[in-house]
Amino acid sequence: MTEKKEYRGSIHQWQKDLMLAWYEQLDQAADTGSPATVSMMISGNCVELLEGFGAVPLYPEVNALQLAIRHQSLDPILAAEDLGYATDNCAYVKADVGCIVKGITPTGGKLPTPTLILCNFVGCNTYLKWFEHLAKLQQAPLYVIDVPFMRANEPSRSDLEYVIKQLQETVKKLEQLTGSKFDYDRFRQAVACSSRTEELWSRIKHLARRSPSPFDAYFDAITLMGPLYVYRARPEGVEFFEAALAELQAKADAHKGVYEQEHFRLVMEGPPPYPYFRTFRDMFAKWQACAVASTYSTVGGLWEFGFRHDPDNPFESVAMHMIAQNVTNRNFLQRYEQIRRYIEEWNADGLIIHFVKSCRLFSAGQGDMRDYFTKQLGVPTLYIESDLEDPRYFAEAQTKNRIDAFFEALEHSKTATPVREET
Amino acid sequence: MRIAAGVDVGSTQTKAVVVSDNGGVKVLARALVDTGANVQRAAERAFDMCCHEAGIHSGDVGFVVGTGYGRYKIAFGNTQMTEITCHAKGASFLCPGTRTVIDMGGQDSKAISVGANGEVLDFVMNDKCAAGTGRFLANSAEVMSISLDEVGPLSLKAKHPVKIATVCTVFVESDILSYLAQGKTAEDILGGVHIAIAKRTLSLARRLNIEPEIAMTGGVARNVGMVWALEEVLGRKMLVSPDAQFIGAVGAALFALEKLDQSFESGIWRGDHAVSGGH
Repeated sequence: MTEKKEYRGSIHQWQKDLMLAWYEQLDQAADTGSPATVSMMISGNCVELLEGFGAVPLYPEVNALQLAIRHQSLDPILAAEDLGYATDNCAYVKADVGCIVKGITPTGGKLPTPTLILCNFVGCNTYLKWFEHLAKLQQAPLYVIDVPFMRANEPSRSDLEYVIKQLQETVKKLEQLTGSKFDYDRFRQAVACSSRTEELWSRIKHLARRSPSPFDAYFDAITLMGPLYVYRARPEGVEFFEAALAELQAKADAHKGVYEQEHFRLVMEGPPPYPYFRTFRDMFAKWQACAVASTYSTVGGLWEFGFRHDPDNPFESVAMHMIAQNVTNRNFLQRYEQIRRYIEEWNADGLIIHFVKSCRLFSAGQGDMRDYFTKQLGVPTLYIESDLEDPRYFAEAQTKNRIDAFFEALEHSKTATPVREET
Repeated sequence: MRIAAGVDVGSTQTKAVVVSDNGGVKVLARALVDTGANVQRAAERAFDMCCHEAGIHSGDVGFVVGTGYGRYKIAFGNTQMTEITCHAKGASFLCPGTRTVIDMGGQDSKAISVGANGEVLDFVMNDKCAAGTGRFLANSAEVMSISLDEVGPLSLKAKHPVKIATVCTVFVESDILSYLAQGKTAEDILGGVHIAIAKRTLSLARRLNIEPEIAMTGGVARNVGMVWALEEVLGRKMLVSPDAQFIGAVGAALFALEKLDQSFESGIWRGDHAVSGGH
């Protein structure tokens, strides 16, 4: 019997309301030019800086995934391919470009021409081209923050200073573009809000160490990630995550899990196939398999191991977050270590790696990752392929077959006995 | 005596096996039909033929496990399991000592690491590409107007196997046509085709720890040329059961036997729409 479970607490509606309010602000900005808006990438976003101008972030990735989850991503992808984008280009890029060309938005409302396209280049080098194309298509100014990749476990002092200097240049650029002076106190307050939100979010993620976990740290975490990226630096964000923690804490204290019986605990690597989000989730729900940790939920920031923004050192902590505290900009050995800690400290039974066909940067190396976890650490690992945005890459029967076989193997390894042939 | 059955609905052929347990497990009968367009009907036909062959009534069968891509279409099955789990179980039974299974079927190929009790330790499969599968062989045979049964023995007569550069099941046809135009013999072309598939399969299997004994399962195991080519690239002999094509169904039948002793609710059984009752 297939068990379909999705967290539907009161924060679910609250999250929807927050995201709709965000889109309404963007709609208003499209009509009136106010508030100022800044396009950014999710990974290592510096939304705190925007608060110093009362500016609102625009996330092309969020628009793209919203379309995919509503089964509307293929048309804009095809429109981008008509323009000459190759089939194996990042499908987020194609969906976003196609939307601009065809005038499609996730809500049907309007999206503004950004005041600034801020390419906070973190890990993903596709973003450089993506945002260059956006600047041209939208005729908006472009500024690139070049964030050095994590070549070691800690960033060097010069790496930090390099990014801080670029953040200060961004401030000057935004002062020119908005005609407003940067409000440093408001920026510090925003950093303080972020610090508080991050603490709450971190506590929520640590609740998944309980057995049963009160929420799915992959499928349910995605619901919480929208407010995290848009509202983290605002009091509304703090208020929302306080409520979320209280709700999930109560669930954990009552020993209520995602499933009546939590049969498997998983760590998930890679983003989900958004065009088949529900179908994909059901494949795990059937086995009462709960994700207790995920790397995807740390794309915007890695907070469960202790990092917080610091209102006493606002620029430096924003720079540190951009360089060192989001999974996209961290090196592969750090990603291995992050997953290893999840498996051990969150007490997981196995690892699921979802390879994203059109994201070579994030997915390249996942074959080696599979080898590392299966052969060196002996962690049962399933490797599956599809895409996060392009529905053409999702083969339902094949994916289901692999997932079923993986769980059968996990079950069977506990119960298998030899069969004797009749002589 | 307890009797159970496994039905493996593959992309090209459907296999059924009936087993009994009377202090030791014995395969009573096996049946094979083309899957065709009506998957449900193919499963019924294979099962009925198998019962007839075993000299039993379908009602004598205590439990039926369906496997293969069409497993959810087996209306009379009590539950379903993936062919990956069933191949590991079946190979371990028919080829004792198996630690690695190489399964080559009509549209997918897979490598499975198997534990001492026939349990799956790890597995890899081809993904969205039919390279290294039976379909690659079938297309090659078709373009050369040679029957599928002949390609294996012919490939063994190759003196100078050609190099097949493509791994694409579609584009291999143009490679073959090009070699035919150059006057290469069918034997040498087929030798190259078999080696190309074997190398592709080996690169897939290398993602696992390939440990002996290695058993080959699936319909392509009947192809002597393919067995030879795989043994060449592996550098060792494989275990190939005369029932290699039925191994998925055998594994399913063995699980069905186990279910006769266990509560249906417990353990591994997670059929999406399992149907209980008779046939």
